[in-house]
Amino acid sequence: MQPLDLDYMLGLVPVLLGYVPLTLAMALASMALALVLASLLAVERILRIPVLDQAVMLFISFFRGTPLLVQLFLFYYGLPQLVSFLAQINGVTAAIMGLTLHFSAYMAESIRAAILGVDRSQWEASMAVGMTRGQMLRRIVLPQASRVAAPTLVNYFIDMIKSTSLAFTLGVTEMMGATQKEAAGSFLYFESFIVVAILYWGIVEVLSYGQRLLEGRMEQAYAR
Amino acid sequence: MLKALVIAAVTTASLVTMAQAQDTLRVGMSGGYFPFTFVKQDKLQGFEVDVMDAVGRETGLNVEYVTMSFSGLIGALSSGRIDTVANQITITPEREAAFAFTQPYVYDGAQVVVKKGNESEIKGPEDLKGRTVAVNLGSNFEQLLSDLPYAGEITIKTYESNIEQDTALGRVDAFVMDRVSSAQVIEKSPLPLALAGKPFAEIHNALPFRDDEASRALRDKVDAALTTLKSDGTLADISQTWFGSDITSTE
Repeated sequence: MQPLDLDYMLGLVPVLLGYVPLTLAMALASMALALVLASLLAVERILRIPVLDQAVMLFISFFRGTPLLVQLFLFYYGLPQLVSFLAQINGVTAAIMGLTLHFSAYMAESIRAAILGVDRSQWEASMAVGMTRGQMLRRIVLPQASRVAAPTLVNYFIDMIKSTSLAFTLGVTEMMGATQKEAAGSFLYFESFIVVAILYWGIVEVLSYGQRLLEGRMEQAYAR
Repeated sequence: MLKALVIAAVTTASLVTMAQAQDTLRVGMSGGYFPFTFVKQDKLQGFEVDVMDAVGRETGLNVEYVTMSFSGLIGALSSGRIDTVANQITITPEREAAFAFTQPYVYDGAQVVVKKGNESEIKGPEDLKGRTVAVNLGSNFEQLLSDLPYAGEITIKTYESNIEQDTALGRVDAFVMDRVSSAQVIEKSPLPLALAGKPFAEIHNALPFRDDEASRALRDKVDAALTTLKSDGTLADISQTWFGSDITSTE
């Protein structure tokens, strides 16, 4: 058992912090795109448009039924063989695409459940006071649904941040990729991987704190 | 702030690899093969980096480094994402059929490395029968092991990286890579490793280029620079810095 090289660990922190923006940018871009896609999928699942509905169900089934790593390899290494244009896609793009499709499949289900979770009497009451369908959704249904969906969606976002670490397998030097390289040069594996673990943990803890604040604010309207 | 980040991310993501002007040389390497190409404090360095920097100065080409996993390098070269690979690429008949190589700039050997204390038991490739051996995925050493007459008796495990660590931990009995890197790893890293016997195969490393007209012209430029750098002693100096000996000539 050799003593830990604390100097090396302290030196690694600023280096890896330099990669936090890329990790967060990949997660934020994927989250933004996934929210849009998941909302569309959720609305479709509620409206049940023939033919489209079967396609959406197949989409959700596939992206929930296969590992994210397999999907990433399929996009980055597999599809370019069939469609040569896709060879132009860089690792970051492929990672964002993969994360978006993968997580939107999960998020669609929680958004759908949240919308359907708003009591029918609320829908009926909105109609009774003469609201249009759009007004009803905007003013009554969606605010209540978002309160239900928010905690789950934040959880998916946290999962997404951690999943960006898989992008290093597509040749993207993000936090995990940078750590791998430093470890291969220094041969200090424990020091390298414990530092990156603590950094991910720190990022997620900051987000969890934000999640608690957000939930507190959303509950205020319903305080009795 | 968040909005800006998202916009920034999406813009970066939508940028595709643009066609490169001919005054740039995109050099692929793993960044994880000490001391040829490695990263310390976010700085890419090593023997290959110094050699390619010298080639850049000599040719006037603007050298741009692209790092990716070792096994992806040859594919990236074929598909035109990079122009050459500086990562101790060994000349083999298969690779010569597919790529246009420069002259060799490293003369080295294949070496068996074991956990410290086992060097009395494993003295060379013959002693690998019935054992598990780690090699880098897609490397020439994987090929060398498979070509041994008793290869069927060896369990070969391929890795993207960290073969040294798994050998030091005793998860595999040995790893095979080049002699000079092995010696440097044993000297400079804290890992308890030892050379097992003498090098068992001679290897020549060169820079591969795509086999088309434009790439061959680029290859000729780089090859001429290597000739100059050999004769004026630049390569020998770089080699002394990293290995304490000259591995860039046959003498």
